Amino acid sequence: MGSDTELLRSIAAGDATALRLLYERHSGALFGYLHRLAGDRMVAEEILQDTMLAVWRSAGSFEGRARVTTWLFGIARRQAHNRLRLRAGPPPAEMSDRPDVSTGPEELAIAAAGGTPVAAAIDRLPGHHRDVIALVFVAGLPLADVAEVLGIPVGTVKSRLFHARAAVAAALAAQEVPE
Amino acid sequence: MNELLPAYAAGSLPAADRARVDAHLLGCPRCRADLSTWQALAAAAPPVPGAAPRAPEAGRMVREVLARSTLEEPVGRPRGGTPTRRLRHLAGLLGAEARLIRLAVPIASALVMAVGVAVVLVQADLGGPERIADVALALIAPIVAAAGVSGTYRSARDPVAELVAATPTSERLLLLVRLALVVGYDLVLALAASAVLTVSGAAGTADLNTLVSAWLGPMMLLTALSLLVAVRFGPDVALGVAAGLWAVRVLAVSVLTADAWPARVIVPAWSTNAPVLALSAALAIAAVLLAGRSEPHRDHRATHPL
Repeated sequence: MGSDTELLRSIAAGDATALRLLYERHSGALFGYLHRLAGDRMVAEEILQDTMLAVWRSAGSFEGRARVTTWLFGIARRQAHNRLRLRAGPPPAEMSDRPDVSTGPEELAIAAAGGTPVAAAIDRLPGHHRDVIALVFVAGLPLADVAEVLGIPVGTVKSRLFHARAAVAAALAAQEVPE
Repeated sequence: MNELLPAYAAGSLPAADRARVDAHLLGCPRCRADLSTWQALAAAAPPVPGAAPRAPEAGRMVREVLARSTLEEPVGRPRGGTPTRRLRHLAGLLGAEARLIRLAVPIASALVMAVGVAVVLVQADLGGPERIADVALALIAPIVAAAGVSGTYRSARDPVAELVAATPTSERLLLLVRLALVVGYDLVLALAASAVLTVSGAAGTADLNTLVSAWLGPMMLLTALSLLVAVRFGPDVALGVAAGLWAVRVLAVSVLTADAWPARVIVPAWSTNAPVLALSAALAIAAVLLAGRSEPHRDHRATHPL
C-alpha cells in the first residue's frame, strides 16, 4: 500500500484495510501523545478510538494542504479536548499554585506518574506546555509539524519548550531533587 | 545551536542537522549539559517513562471503529451529512423501494392506460364523438393511480413488511418515497397517454393542456383519499372506497341530470382547480403524519391466537 495520502483516499472510499494500515503506521505516536495528554490509559484508548472514527468518517475531507501526520494529530488533539473537557474535575493546577510540595500526597503523585519526579513535574505543567512536550518528545514530531498541529509559529513552540523545561527545573529544585 | 537541541533529544531532527549538532557537541560542554536536560525531559515524557507507548491492537481498534460508525449518529453536524450525501441516501432509498414494489402493479397500470388509449384511437378512427379523449383519460387515470397507491401501502401480510419494519428509516419517509415512486410513475403514464392522443390527432380539438387538466385534479384527489384510507384502514378498504367514489363520479357525469344539485356538487369536486389540489395535498400530508404515528401493523402482533 502506498503513501498516507493514498491510504486516506482508500479510507474515504470505505476501505477498512486502509484504515488498519494507517492506524498501524501512526497508532504508537498518536497513542503516546493521547496517553500523555489524558494521563490515563483507558481514557487515551477511548480518545484514540474517537480519533479513528473521525478519520474513518472524514477522510474524504482531507484536502492535502497539510501533511497526513499533522492532520491526524490535529484530529486527535481536538478529540482529546472534546473528551477531556467533558470529564468532571478541576483542570491541572499551575505550578505556582503549589509552592509547598511536601511529603505524603506528593509521593503518591510521583508513583502515579510512573515513579520519576521529572514525570510528576511534567504532569503538573499547564495544558499548553504539556501539549508541546507530548508532541515533541512522545509523538516525536518535528517542531515545524508541532507548530502546524497547534496552529502557532515555530518560534512559539520553541519558547514553550524552554518555558516548560524551566518550570520542570523549578519544580524539581523546590523538591530538592537533583535533575 | 541550542534551538536544535530539543528536536535532537526527541530524535526528530533531519540527518543533516543531526550531524551538525553532533559535530558541535564535541567541542561545547555547555551544549552537552543543555542537551542532557532535554534528554531527561524526553526520557520522562512518555506516559510510561522509558517504554514505548503500546497502542491498542489494530484489528480490535478497526472493528470497534466500524461498529461505532454504524451504530452512532455523527456528532456535531446535522443528521445525514452534506447535501450530496443526503441526495445519495434518498436515491438509495428510491432504488430500494422500487425493488420492493410488486411488478404486477406498474404493469397492470400501464396495461389499463394502454387499453384506454387504444379505445380512444379506435373510436377516433371510427369517427366517434368529439370529446372522447379527455373523457376517457379523466375516467382511467385517477382510478389507476388510486389503485396503485392503495396497493403499495403495505399490509402486514406483505412478505417484505417485517424487513421494512426492521429498517432504521422512519415509516413516514418510506411512505413518502413509495408515494413519490408510484404517483410519479402514474403521472408519467397519464402524461404519456395524453401526449400520444394529442400527437395522433385522436384528441380532436383538445390540446395537451385540456387533456391534462381533465385528469390531473381528480387523480390527485382520489389518490390522496385512497392513501389516507389505506393508512387508517388498510389497502383493501382503500381500494373499495376509491372504486366506490369513482363510480359515483362517473354516474354523476353520465347518468344524473347535469343541472340537478348532485351533479353540480360532484362534478366541480372532481376537476382540476386550486381547491381540489390543495385539498389533495392536505389529505396526503395527513396520511403521511398518520402513518408515522400509528404502531406499525397493530392488528397483527408477533404472536396472535390461531
